[in-house]
Amino acid sequence: MPAPSPSPKALFFGMLQVALSAFGGGLSAWSQRIVVEQRRWMSNEAFLTGLTVARLFPGPNQINMAVYIGALFNGFIGAMAAIAGMLLVPFSILMLLGLVYFRSHALPAVDHVLTGVVAAAAGMALSMGFKILHEYWRDPLAILIAILTFLALQVANFKLIPVVLVGGPIAMALYWPRARKSQAEN
Amino acid sequence: MTGFDTLWQVIKTFLGLSLFSLGGGNTLLQEYQHLSVDTYHWITNNQFADLYALAEAAPGPSSMIVGLLGLEAGLRHGVLWGVLTGLAAEIAILLPSTLLMVAAALSWGRFKDSPFRIAFERGLGPITLGILFSVGLTVLRTADHHWLAYVVSFLVCGLMLFTRISPLYFMAIAGLLGGFGLIQR
Repeated sequence: MPAPSPSPKALFFGMLQVALSAFGGGLSAWSQRIVVEQRRWMSNEAFLTGLTVARLFPGPNQINMAVYIGALFNGFIGAMAAIAGMLLVPFSILMLLGLVYFRSHALPAVDHVLTGVVAAAAGMALSMGFKILHEYWRDPLAILIAILTFLALQVANFKLIPVVLVGGPIAMALYWPRARKSQAEN
Repeated sequence: MTGFDTLWQVIKTFLGLSLFSLGGGNTLLQEYQHLSVDTYHWITNNQFADLYALAEAAPGPSSMIVGLLGLEAGLRHGVLWGVLTGLAAEIAILLPSTLLMVAAALSWGRFKDSPFRIAFERGLGPITLGILFSVGLTVLRTADHHWLAYVVSFLVCGLMLFTRISPLYFMAIAGLLGGFGLIQR
């Protein structure tokens, strides 16, 4: 049974709870648990639709998800409340960490530890492409587009924005759904 | 440069990039590195790598690295400018994509079966894939200069793909290795 739709204040505190629960990671899972199961703001289907939209549009997925939930109930104000709730604590912590970093990164001990952490973090960055590779593996056109994009950025040294502005429309034209249309005509 | 100049530079930079953050925002990392190190000299390459690691290790969405970049850019004018610039950077990178997302959330019912949406999703997926591999390589080259660092990175990459262990453990262990002087810049 769905609860009555949340006010901006409720959205703020709901997302604050999500952010605090997810301190060790797993933001998406916590978001689902709190929004769908605990607070019953939306059905699981509605949540999954939101996740699809959040992934499709530009912006960080989890923040987009907060925006989606907020906007659904209270438009722009709701979106702002949800983002504020999600970012308030982590962002404050990050600013503090950044200040400590600024003061201490020249210390040899700090620098040594960071060198190790950086190597691990680079491995995380490296895994991002491999993580979604399986979705495209059986599609030679997709792999070709990915390789060309990679070469444009790494070998030809083009900037990201022109690559997306030129490559995006071409890829969209290649993937424009025509099979569906001809089916309808038959 | 005054504090205000830096603030404006940061806002302009991130406002313009917001709508290009495909695939969850990580696609912009290479651009962040290029702009904050090569173009505007807010930070050095090593510092960029450090800030990326900090943002990954800290709780919350890792895309908050933008707030850190703003902070470090503004700090040369004092703590207040730093925090203000950090906050402004985060708002600038989020505002355009948030406005679009609000519009999307409210009109998704009409939009979801349009051919434009299908082409957008299928067409931009492979582009995102190519960008992410490029980002991975760039971060790797920015971060690692020592063979053991490369070994750690490749090991972590493999563990990220084949296990469900929280990356926080990898960062903690690698931090210890670094602390003992085993991994060098």
